Amino acid sequence: MTRGPFPWLREGSAVGLPRALLYYELYPFWRGFFEELGFRVVDSGPTSREVLEAGVREAVDEACLPVKAFYGHVVSLRDRVDAVFLPRLVSLERGTYTCPKLLGLPDMVRHNISRLPPAIIADFDETRPGKGLKEAAVRLARRLGRGARLARAAVARGLESLALFRKALWSGLWFESAVQEARRAEGRGGVMRPRAAGRPVSGLQAPGRRAPEPAARRAGRLRVGLVGHSYNLFDPGVNLGLCEKLRRLGCDIVTSESLSEEEVRAESVKMPKEIFWSSGRRVLAAVSRFRREGLVDGIIHIESFGCGPESMVGEIAERETRRQSRMPYMVLTVDEHTGEAGLLTRLEAFVDLIERRRDGRGGRGREEAG
Amino acid sequence: MIVTFAHMGNLWVVVKTILEDLGVEVVVPPRPSRKSLDLGVRHSPEFACFPLKLNIGDFIGGLERGAEAVVMVGGVGPCRLGHYAQVQEQILRDLGYRCEMIVLEPPRGRLSDLLAKVRYLTGNKPLGRVWRAVRFGLEKLSALDALDQALARVRPLERGPGPAEDVHRRAVGAVAAAADVGTVRRAAAEGVRAIEGCVSPEAAGDGAAVLRVGLVGEIYMVEEPFANQELERRLGGLGVEVRRAVYLSDWVRTHLLPNPFRLGRRCRTSLVRRAAAPYLGHFVGGEGLVSVGESVLLSREGYDGVIHVAPFTCMPEIVASSLLPEVSRDLGLPVMSLFLDEHTAEAGLVTRIEAFVDLLARRRAAREAGARPPAAQGKARSAT
Repeated sequence: MTRGPFPWLREGSAVGLPRALLYYELYPFWRGFFEELGFRVVDSGPTSREVLEAGVREAVDEACLPVKAFYGHVVSLRDRVDAVFLPRLVSLERGTYTCPKLLGLPDMVRHNISRLPPAIIADFDETRPGKGLKEAAVRLARRLGRGARLARAAVARGLESLALFRKALWSGLWFESAVQEARRAEGRGGVMRPRAAGRPVSGLQAPGRRAPEPAARRAGRLRVGLVGHSYNLFDPGVNLGLCEKLRRLGCDIVTSESLSEEEVRAESVKMPKEIFWSSGRRVLAAVSRFRREGLVDGIIHIESFGCGPESMVGEIAERETRRQSRMPYMVLTVDEHTGEAGLLTRLEAFVDLIERRRDGRGGRGREEAG
Repeated sequence: MIVTFAHMGNLWVVVKTILEDLGVEVVVPPRPSRKSLDLGVRHSPEFACFPLKLNIGDFIGGLERGAEAVVMVGGVGPCRLGHYAQVQEQILRDLGYRCEMIVLEPPRGRLSDLLAKVRYLTGNKPLGRVWRAVRFGLEKLSALDALDQALARVRPLERGPGPAEDVHRRAVGAVAAAADVGTVRRAAAEGVRAIEGCVSPEAAGDGAAVLRVGLVGEIYMVEEPFANQELERRLGGLGVEVRRAVYLSDWVRTHLLPNPFRLGRRCRTSLVRRAAAPYLGHFVGGEGLVSVGESVLLSREGYDGVIHVAPFTCMPEIVASSLLPEVSRDLGLPVMSLFLDEHTAEAGLVTRIEAFVDLLARRRAAREAGARPPAAQGKARSAT
């Protein structure tokens, strides 16, 4: 196991970040952190067909597509880095967990992938005092041979990048744009451009660099609430270009990622029992806001085939939506066997439905999951 | 208030005993069957895990027989079991059942919540009285586990279908009906003796030659014969002695009881953790870590092989199944993972079990002949 000191890592060594799973939550933190420590950060790049194929080959059949994609990204880093970073993200917020598979992920990867680059494994667990992101990252920096002051500085830099990135996400920016906006703001001493600052939920998100128009709906365009894990929303390689397809069909997109943490918490405490998966909390909060405030014309829940948390959260969301509103709600389940043509057909049908609904031409409320 | 609950192997005896002892009226649902499964599958989310679907079938069975409330356990994550209650409540509500869900969560965080639930359920019985009932229930649980273990030992020595199953069923009935600790213990001892009496005379001395397989995996799938397609009976019929890595009484002791009473089991828990550590260094919810650790321990204890059962899409067990091939390779221990659900076809499962037992038998024979045993590794995993 690659614990303890890492003697082969020196100033400028390349640390690889697999672009999958909670990369989409924490990338700015890792980048800021490792750069401040003097490493070169290598991102494994977009999820290509080859990446997915490698992942499908290496992982157990039962694993979900995002986990397989993670495997593929690790494989693609094989000969490009001095070490690959495999964080064990147990919990990102007090009282919540990520997913059992993510708890076992570093072990699965180091046992299942041959010729693995040396792995930096560290546990991050907000449910246990002193084991959270901040403290564990300081300890990691120390294990990487850095002094206490630099360790603290690296964590501070990471947290700052992360805070800016999250603010940009809540303002309605898409993942890549939020990363860039946060980076630019860092250059300006943490000042965000006014249009990117503080416009929760009601902001629109559109793939592309331009910050979207404010809450007022753009004429003639439908608005779809897209909910699910961030790695399903933001990775076109995993969601088969869902967002681009929706946009071409004339839809603007608001995602569950555009809720701030406070908004998620405020919705979550209303539940009879709070969901203990952080992503699940967010999805349910987004669905209930979208529905209650009529922020969107319809909701699409994108799930991975075989996803445990989503099988439960999605069921609660769907039943509540059906019971309390006429909001069209569609569940899209994707895996490595999903065909693009089939997906497009279903999207077209859904968009047809919400368009008829909006124009007051009726139409039944829901499409069945398939 | 008339209460119902879900089946899990012999658990019904225990739940019924405890609740009735406390004056709560109980409806035991019919045993899980094709019929209850169909109901469960129809009304549950497609990708919910298998136990949730079977639970729904049981609940409907109980509610149709007049139950007004459902009692079940909860959890604090990250395994899905912790949110079964919320989803099941919605399903039952949408089906039009006006029932109450009483969820007993493990005492982490606020013990007072659990106690309040218990008081509510039992109509404010004093806690001492509740504790006595629970202890009596656990006495029965230990007795039932002893009966199951005896049956597992005797099955391979029966040489073909014999009376042991019936004897076992009668013994379970006797334990279920027992009204005090003495009777429970007597019934268990007599039951074990009677089951052991079923060994066929020509097999009497063959105990050492019997193949021994450890059963690890998700607790519900291990415990509930309907869910695992009567894996233990089938293996027994093929001449294999099966030992569950975790019996229900162990599980209750580690999961549901306050600290002082699970000391013994705790030792095993840390042993399991240490055994799993080279492969899995962190808990992953459910029984994932236990499946890996117990497989290592079973190998050390000389078991011929391990069968790993889990519901399809079970998250902790997917982690385990990713790591068990490594355990298998390192220790030369044949391991077969079975992910089961409502789509599992009997014939396919039987073929796989037979092939696995065949492999074990050849390895045993080769070892006894002093040759190198055939490789432990086939493709040690596959879906249903």
